[in-house]
Amino acid sequence: MIYTRFEKARIVGARALQISMGAPTLIKLPKDVISPIDIAMLEFKEDAIPITVKRVQN
Amino acid sequence: MAKKQTKKQVKNKTKIKKIILKDTTAKKTVKKEKKTKKQTKISPKKSPQKKTSPKEKIEKIRKKKKAEVKTTKKPKQKEKKLVVKRETPPPKHPKPIEESPEHKKIRSEINKILDGRFLPLAILDDIISKVSEEQKLQSKLKVIISKSLAEYDKNAVDPSEACGIVGAQSIGEPGTQMTMRTFHYAGVAEINVTLGLPRLIEIVDARSIPSTPMMNIYLRDEFRLNSDLAKEVANQIEITRLNSIADIETDLTNLVIYVKPNMKTLKNKNISIKEVGEIIKKIRGIDAKIDKDSIKISLDDPSYKKLLDVNETLKDLKVKGIDGIKRIIIRNEPKEGYVIYSEGSNLEKVLQVEGVDPYRTTTNDIQAVGRTLGIEAARNMIIQEAHNTLSEQGLNVDLRHIMLVSDVMTADGTIRAIGRHGVSKEKESVLSRAAFEITVSHLLQAARRGETDKLGGVAENIIVGQPVNLGTGAVELVMKRSKKKE
Repeated sequence: MIYTRFEKARIVGARALQISMGAPTLIKLPKDVISPIDIAMLEFKEDAIPITVKRVQN
Repeated sequence: MAKKQTKKQVKNKTKIKKIILKDTTAKKTVKKEKKTKKQTKISPKKSPQKKTSPKEKIEKIRKKKKAEVKTTKKPKQKEKKLVVKRETPPPKHPKPIEESPEHKKIRSEINKILDGRFLPLAILDDIISKVSEEQKLQSKLKVIISKSLAEYDKNAVDPSEACGIVGAQSIGEPGTQMTMRTFHYAGVAEINVTLGLPRLIEIVDARSIPSTPMMNIYLRDEFRLNSDLAKEVANQIEITRLNSIADIETDLTNLVIYVKPNMKTLKNKNISIKEVGEIIKKIRGIDAKIDKDSIKISLDDPSYKKLLDVNETLKDLKVKGIDGIKRIIIRNEPKEGYVIYSEGSNLEKVLQVEGVDPYRTTTNDIQAVGRTLGIEAARNMIIQEAHNTLSEQGLNVDLRHIMLVSDVMTADGTIRAIGRHGVSKEKESVLSRAAFEITVSHLLQAARRGETDKLGGVAENIIVGQPVNLGTGAVELVMKRSKKKE
């Protein structure tokens, strides 16, 4: 689904935190990428992050 | 007659009731039930009746409610009518502009295609005007509408966006660049008008009267082309005091006042001596007699002091015109014809004057617009005035931020100020009100009443130290279920 920019920011941020604390990465990474935030953004592009958003309708 | 019979029947048939109840003749059993309730205080609850009587009872209750609603609506309407008191019969207003039948057709087609989805009115008006110009577009209405809907959704604000803060900053930042000078002669009509930051403060504070009220009075078709008719309308509106049209002489020996009006000025302003006499007679405690050219005023209780008082009231006595209008300027605009600019504002009474075009006359007194024309008109007035104030200073603020402020001010049906007397006073959270102004009194009141704070807003969450329920704080994350790899 199409994420709002807040949802994208939250998902990438949560994933980056997990990676920084030692979680295994889920995609093949180019060799020069080391920052957890960059890794998380690449994972988000390839739709590999297993986190999603629960939307509550009013 | 019928009541007596049924009473007798009931008294005789109290024992037979139980047999009758097994029948399903609904109406008779219901009536008897009701009357027995009054007399014998038995509440009969038996199953065959439950199927029929509750429905009929509900129907009867609904009919009663409808009758009640009808009767209660009428007194409300009467109250509203009482507010507008007309001394003269209402003037004949020109008819409002109606949409041409072509446009109506296109509009109804568009509504069918939309099928309940929303597009703003301004966009629909645009589409209709362009489709009616070019015939080719009419067949492609469906494509046009679907693409407009897609664009509209793209440009819509994300949910949980902090649009209030963004709007406040968008108006506040250009506000720092605005001038503090209060007014200058607004070139057109040499009337002082409050401009810049003080005017914006007046608008947002919902002041009851602006410091420089003014009106643009447009005239109806015949009146705006003819200078004499325009002057007549101006005479009706502009205040003329007795001072300016007559000489007031006091005769101290006889304790009498002579009012000698200037005949030329009376003719110019189209006032007769009789009218002046009528107005003078309304002063308490005097007796006025009208001679050919002058009016003799004698006191009921002759005293020196009273004579001087009456003299003072006579000087300022309003002979003709509408309260509140101080000065009037008539200008012949190139395309418009004659337009009247007034310093001072009284929307209710000016709209009733014959010759005034009530569909275009404007004022800058927002509370008056709210009283006379309604809350939606007041909302539009706030947007227009704020936008004009900002753009006059050369600042370009997107209309949406101003629209948000205006909507917040008029949301509950009255014009509320933004500030501790209006919107900010009505916040639910104790902590946010305490953080805004008058900290101690808010906390004391809340403690006395044992209030709870639900921590729903921004300020209270910051005080407590939690993430705010806006933007990323409003996102709830969940783990995705893993897809089976094929």
